[in-house]
Amino acid sequence: MSRIGVFICHCGENISRTVDVERVAKAAEKISGVAYACEYKYMCSDPGQNLLKKAVIDQNLDGIVVAACSPRMHEKTFRKAAQSAGLNPYLVEMANIREHCSWVHEDREEATTKATEIVTMLVERVKMNKKLQPITVPVTKRALVIGGGIAGIQAALDIADCGHHVVLVEREPSIGGHMAQLSETFPTLDCSQCIMTPKMVDVANHPNITLHTYSEIENVDGYIGNFQVTIKKKARSVDMDKCTGCGVCMAKCPQKKIPNSFDKDLGMRPAIYVPFPQAVPNTPVIDRENCTYFKSGKCGVCQKVCGPGAVDYTQEDQLVVEDIGAIVVATGFELYSIGEKPKGSAIKGYGEFGHGKIPDVIDGMTFERLASASGPTGGKILRPSDGKEPQQVVFLQCVGSRAREKGISYCSKICCMYTAKHTMLYHHKVHDGQAYVFFMDARTPGKGYDEFWRRSIEDENAVYIRGAVSRLYQKGDKIVVMGSDIALGIQVEIEADMVVLATAVQPRQGADLLAQKLGISYDMYNFYSEAHAKLRPVECATAGVYLAGACQGPKDIPDSVSQASAAAAKVMTLFAKDELEREPIVAKVNDKNCVACFYCKKVCPYGAVEEKEIRDRQGNLIKVVAWVNPGVCGGCGTCQASCPSKSVELDGYTDEQIMAQIEAL
Amino acid sequence: MNNTKENTTPLVDNSYYEAVTTAIRSEARRVMESGEVSAVIGYKSGRRKGSAQPVIISDVSRIDELVFAPTCTNNLSLYLTKAKKEVSKKGKIAIVAKGCDLKALAGLMSESQLKRENLHLIGISCAGVHGSNVKPSEALSAATIARKCRECTVHVPEGVDCIAGTLPQLEQLSALESAELERLEAMSPAGRWAFWKEQFSRCIRCMACRQVCPFCYCEQCLCDRNRPQGVETTPRPAGNMGWHIVRAMHLAGRCAGCAECERSCPMDIPLNLLNRKMANELKELYGQEAGMQPQEKGPLATYKEDDDESFIK
Amino acid sequence: MIGPIGLIRRIGPIKEMIMHAEKLKHDFEPKLVAFVCTWCTYAGADLAGTSRMQYPSNVRVLKFPCTGRIDPVFILRAFQKGADGILVSGCHPGDCHYMAGNFHARRRFATFRKLLEFIGVDLERLQFSWVSAAEGGKWVEVVTELTERVRSMGPMHEFKELELEECWSGKLDTAELKEAYEAIP
Repeated sequence: MSRIGVFICHCGENISRTVDVERVAKAAEKISGVAYACEYKYMCSDPGQNLLKKAVIDQNLDGIVVAACSPRMHEKTFRKAAQSAGLNPYLVEMANIREHCSWVHEDREEATTKATEIVTMLVERVKMNKKLQPITVPVTKRALVIGGGIAGIQAALDIADCGHHVVLVEREPSIGGHMAQLSETFPTLDCSQCIMTPKMVDVANHPNITLHTYSEIENVDGYIGNFQVTIKKKARSVDMDKCTGCGVCMAKCPQKKIPNSFDKDLGMRPAIYVPFPQAVPNTPVIDRENCTYFKSGKCGVCQKVCGPGAVDYTQEDQLVVEDIGAIVVATGFELYSIGEKPKGSAIKGYGEFGHGKIPDVIDGMTFERLASASGPTGGKILRPSDGKEPQQVVFLQCVGSRAREKGISYCSKICCMYTAKHTMLYHHKVHDGQAYVFFMDARTPGKGYDEFWRRSIEDENAVYIRGAVSRLYQKGDKIVVMGSDIALGIQVEIEADMVVLATAVQPRQGADLLAQKLGISYDMYNFYSEAHAKLRPVECATAGVYLAGACQGPKDIPDSVSQASAAAAKVMTLFAKDELEREPIVAKVNDKNCVACFYCKKVCPYGAVEEKEIRDRQGNLIKVVAWVNPGVCGGCGTCQASCPSKSVELDGYTDEQIMAQIEAL
Repeated sequence: MNNTKENTTPLVDNSYYEAVTTAIRSEARRVMESGEVSAVIGYKSGRRKGSAQPVIISDVSRIDELVFAPTCTNNLSLYLTKAKKEVSKKGKIAIVAKGCDLKALAGLMSESQLKRENLHLIGISCAGVHGSNVKPSEALSAATIARKCRECTVHVPEGVDCIAGTLPQLEQLSALESAELERLEAMSPAGRWAFWKEQFSRCIRCMACRQVCPFCYCEQCLCDRNRPQGVETTPRPAGNMGWHIVRAMHLAGRCAGCAECERSCPMDIPLNLLNRKMANELKELYGQEAGMQPQEKGPLATYKEDDDESFIK
Repeated sequence: MIGPIGLIRRIGPIKEMIMHAEKLKHDFEPKLVAFVCTWCTYAGADLAGTSRMQYPSNVRVLKFPCTGRIDPVFILRAFQKGADGILVSGCHPGDCHYMAGNFHARRRFATFRKLLEFIGVDLERLQFSWVSAAEGGKWVEVVTELTERVRSMGPMHEFKELELEECWSGKLDTAELKEAYEAIP
């Protein structure tokens, strides 16, 4: 006969307001096998937990049901409490009578009945629970950082400085990300490259960092502490060991008219190129799509002029497999493009702004490149269409952001600040020019941020107009901006020379595909989801994967850097121990019953099922059966549902436990 | 299931059976004498005139006992797995296989129960076999042929080591089983429930359908378990319904359509209707069906990301 | 992907409707069982709770790690134990915590419902859904809809009847049997 203890929580009044907890406790007492039942105001509080611990000992309990909130909230709490009283933690179950009952039903009678039934089902289940022991798995102390922007760089440096090896993977030919593209940064207006490039060089020189640029994640296998990551190193066509970075190949390349995406297509680059002069690594790649040699088989100039003989047209994509213990995802963001979107897309473009076809309507990043001293104009603000200095520039905020009708409801967070910065940079470079900003409201929470914004108005002459713009159109060489000033209640029309759009921050294209490879979740916009919005903001629900930077949501540089360091700290916490304890919710095979049909092996998403030979003492083969590697098993239980004879069982969710619950319906 | 209203003229003449029998014997003798196989699983004549029964021959001198007749209904693949487990341990075995039996063998290979290299397959060009409740001495005719054979698509096995006999042009018979399926499908859910309730209420849980099924090779059947008891074991209506649903579900995507379950059922429950229905559905849903070649993964052991989900909200 | 925007907009009215409608007493209150995965639908139901949305109290939730773990036998057993309607719900395709569990479940249940349909079970009583951890509103919608539908369909007699029926009750109620019984020495 079981001796189950049932503990009903009032949760202050959250539960007791709608559920008659006393009645539930009385009903629970009568369930066969229940030795003790009580109710208490706050079960999760210290006195509540002590009550439970005391009952375990005094009543000699061999199973516990805590009827309270969701097990997602406090299962760990109560399991720990039981454990400290000497009861195996897996003999504790939670009956969710708050989220699934008291909070969603108003009728006291109905809610009480439901709560009683939920408790009964869980009591029957817990009778079938077995003692389980945690599984320990070794930890590979090597981290993978995906994305070489400021967040990825910071995380990689922190982990590497701690003495652990880091593999940093970047899709582009150089690390640096968006920060390398910026001209100056708010709120201090220091030059972005000046603070960024030393960090890039640190990465390149760090003995603990292996850098894979021009590379992508092909596949991720394994689990926390034991990932096997396949990295595709795209063919660079240049041997990184031989190349000295002298740049002769780039100078001699006859194909020089390729728009440079690093400069937002304002500048040109050769077919063999580094995206920008301070690139790390400073090894060029051949853009095979635009290279004459790869298109027609003729040319080969770069190979001829290369002194060290580094140019290698025969290079192929390479797959590298790395053993990894923890993964930091820092894939960053991209900007909303106002162009026409494919039908059915949740994101709409901006027809009213010309769908991106007016050449002097540019986005914020393009303005950064114009303002950058290393940019295509050498830091002069010149408009793209005719290279003239614009005398009137209109800045539009919240383009895409906070615009549900355009498919995005969130605030992109950084635009208010960078637009304020843009007006200043513009004023510094075009002294007699006039900047106008259309804005909904200025969001400047951050150290020194509001002061910075006010400076743009008070000292740098920017005119802020509260209101929206309904239309932009080309008129001669001007762009007419039609908007409203809601403060004055009038229509405004400005003939601008250039318009800068603060377009929304979006996750990278293909962010969802990477998430699927990693087995992490993402929201409706494809931003990656953290395990808990407040308390676990840098961890994914998938153990061993951490988030840094704008891939999780719009962030400015200081936020990205702090989150990156936080993610690094999480990785280092994991690496501090040689072994990791895992929940023992894994599948086990009953050797006697298994008939080796290997349905389990066919359906296992983790490849955790192997074939095992059973031999007698003389070594003669008796039979072959399935075997589940507990370190690899993810605990989904798909094998058990697929096993015709139920010879494989998922601990914690056995047929006996589930059937007992169903029988109690 | 007897088709009493049908024509009793023989579908094939006797010389066909003689030719098949001769071909089986000569191939069996060849592989036995060369030592390639240690035994042959086939059919021999039974005591009643025209009847046949399975036989395992491991002695060359008994080869001439092998026959083929319309009464060779059994799916012999059973004797390689659960019925005679020790047989397959003896090394390479020759086995006589009709098209439907071959599908079962292929399925068993897909499920790691058999290895192709351990088998010598003597395929039969099969015109069909008797249905149940037919006198063994009767000739194979539209009236005596098994329902499954009326719409057989595997008269001639493929991928075997040799084929015994050649088939004459066969008469196209009406597809009674498919017609019955259509009749049931056209009914209301309540009508179908009434139909199956009546059928299953007769079930005496003798488990012949399970014992004769090449795919029911589990060491312990889920339906015999009592901790927990998923399916009631006594022949009460509730347990019967449970058993037949679980059986059909476990065979979905695997069943070879040999209809041995139906033939061996002492209560004449039309079990192959369920099997055929599930095979049809899986073919329609996922384009996969039991075939004469082993498949790496059956339809329920794999998935496609764009599988139909019109039924999911 | 289901557009949560649309859903969020719909939550308002539904909530209002349920909270302020006159509490109707129904002649029949169905018993519903929901088999859900812990990562998406269970969390979605939790979210419905934390958002204080209201829905009928007929449903009992069984938590599984993944829809991939849900065996058709459980559905069968739940019907036999008196469920009038059953919901199976998990993560949207591509969102499975275990990568592919829901894909396997999708095939399994597509097949199983065809079988049940052929046996004569009214599929209106068996609902499948994808409810993500963010879709508290959808959870409410799915449960409310199923409850109302099954309520209007009335009790699920079929399996319950079978539970009560016996092939042979053990009674000696025919003359022949009685005679045979008495003849036993």
